Amino acid sequence: MSLADPDRPASGPVPPEAGADEGWQHLHPLTPLLRGGFVLLAVGYWLVSQGFDAILRGGGLGDSGGDPQADQVFAHPALFGLGAIAIVLAIGAVSWLSWRFARFRIGSGQVELRSGVLLRQHRQVPLERVQAVEISRPLLARAFGLAQVVVQSAGGRGAHLTVSYLALARAQAVRDELLALAGRSDERARVRRPDGIPAQPPAPGRAGSFLVADDRSPEERPVLAVPNGRLFVATLLHTSTLVLGLLVVVGSTAAGFGALGALTGLVPVVFGIGSNRVRELLKHGNFSVADLPDSLRVRHGFTDLRTTTVPLHRVQALEVHQPLWWRPFRWWRVRVNVAGIHDEHGAREETTVLPVGTFDDVLTLLTLIDARLDPAEVRTAATGAGGEPGWTAAGARSRLLDPLSWRRNGYAASADSVLIRRGRLHRWATITPHARIQSLTLHQGILDRWLGLASVALVSTPGPVRPGIEHLVVEEAERLVREEAARSRVARRPRDASCEADADPVD
Amino acid sequence: MSEAPPTIPDAAHVTLFGGGPPWHPVSASLATLRLITLGLVLGPVAIAGAVLAVLVSPWFAVALGAVAVAAAWSAWVVVRQVSATTWVELDEELVIRRGRLFRTLVSIPYGRLQYVDIQSGPLSRAFGLASVEIHTASPESGGVIPGLPVAEAEALRARLAARGEAQRAGL
Repeated sequence: MSLADPDRPASGPVPPEAGADEGWQHLHPLTPLLRGGFVLLAVGYWLVSQGFDAILRGGGLGDSGGDPQADQVFAHPALFGLGAIAIVLAIGAVSWLSWRFARFRIGSGQVELRSGVLLRQHRQVPLERVQAVEISRPLLARAFGLAQVVVQSAGGRGAHLTVSYLALARAQAVRDELLALAGRSDERARVRRPDGIPAQPPAPGRAGSFLVADDRSPEERPVLAVPNGRLFVATLLHTSTLVLGLLVVVGSTAAGFGALGALTGLVPVVFGIGSNRVRELLKHGNFSVADLPDSLRVRHGFTDLRTTTVPLHRVQALEVHQPLWWRPFRWWRVRVNVAGIHDEHGAREETTVLPVGTFDDVLTLLTLIDARLDPAEVRTAATGAGGEPGWTAAGARSRLLDPLSWRRNGYAASADSVLIRRGRLHRWATITPHARIQSLTLHQGILDRWLGLASVALVSTPGPVRPGIEHLVVEEAERLVREEAARSRVARRPRDASCEADADPVD
Repeated sequence: MSEAPPTIPDAAHVTLFGGGPPWHPVSASLATLRLITLGLVLGPVAIAGAVLAVLVSPWFAVALGAVAVAAAWSAWVVVRQVSATTWVELDEELVIRRGRLFRTLVSIPYGRLQYVDIQSGPLSRAFGLASVEIHTASPESGGVIPGLPVAEAEALRARLAARGEAQRAGL
């Protein structure tokens, strides 16, 4: 409290709990400005415009046409000035206080964040529960060279901790420290990586540039980047936009230009679809993936630039998807389930590791995530039409329910994972390692019962990928559950028995 | 009561219907319990229908008849559902089968258990029953065994917890 302690720099107001305050770090001094930035700007603008207004009006006419407010202000410019200064001072004081009280620290097995002047908040996340650490840079923060660090924890809803704002370099340091600490307290059941990938020198990141992700760390190896042009075309080629386009064309040719009036009824729909597509575009813009020793670093975002680190050993399931409209371009999308990253506000962006890419991109990425995957198998899963050796198809009995895709819908079990494919026009393929399956479910509805069919779900952790195969012949479905239970039984074992068993067989 | 060592060495012919491993049924009094619940819901509706039929219009007797038919059908479904719910503890998985019209089988490895809940409401307590809820890292992959005698439910939970600990697998 007093300034008797010379080591403690300028300990002004009372630290909430004395004694427990080693290692606390402050946020960047510009934080309050950014947090309340818009309010401050608005207030300032209002004040200035009011003042100018009054002065202009008063000065121009000498007598301000009877506006009592302007009169008053004009009559007491000193009062006006004092008021403005008082408001600015008050805002400054509140900002300073909130900056004083917002502190975070990393240590003794947890990350802690304290904030709030009147309503104190103290949030802690144990390091072993940290699932992912992400750097996010909203537009305004980027203009000041700041960033925020988002710590995602396994605690579910509301258990995230956001340290905002820090200077970019400091944010990176905090991120790296957290990842290192969290990785150490992890049980290190890693997906091993074939060694000998030359550690290329990092791309000379255009440091300091306003529009580019400039927080590359030296051990990163760039893997792929999605050109924004391709992303733009791919985002437009969506069922909603195509249906809308068709509707407009058909409507206007059928009814002539008289129908234009009716088309205005479509405006809200157009707006909805448009904003949806634009959001998608903003989210996935500037997309790039880099490779780290045991994780992937994903960067994306046009305005809000985000950097996410996906720890490979937490990837639970993969999905490769191709909408019908992308087939002429041979584009694919890859999404993953990552343990602990929940679907909090709709689709979480961390789960898309490739918004649109060629099949080569897909293979590059998949083999990085799981080195044991066989590219030929993946290709069969993605594009095969049915009848390949090793594949069990849903078969003719499901023809009634899946008239187009009954030949293709099916699964194959490799040594490490189950590959499932479905859909003939839009195509999906999912890959689930045996060791990652949470539980197995067999389901049979009334219609299935009549047809002698059943569906199997390989339940994964929550996420966009839901591996499962529908409408198998009952006996086949039962066999899949039995065999898959046995396979995942074996696959689960080595990781707690010994790590050597896991280390040798990189074919 | 049932302290029998329940591990089935047979890695088991698990099927959607029929025998195979020794499937355990749930308590038959679960059907009684559910019928009572059904009665508590439909009873007031039936009484209201009867009163209206007498006081307002005899046409409400038709509604009464409809309620009676619905009650009979629901009662039949409830009884069949209870007899269709079976479970078995295998070497490394707990398997639960439920439902008649919509048949479901869940196979949960012990190593994936996060926690096990025992729940029993006032009515099921009166019958000495409890339901065991099994939770994994995925909200949709859990399973419920309804209507076990409380002692059996406690014993099952203890066994599941012990096996979950022994066979724990990282995510």
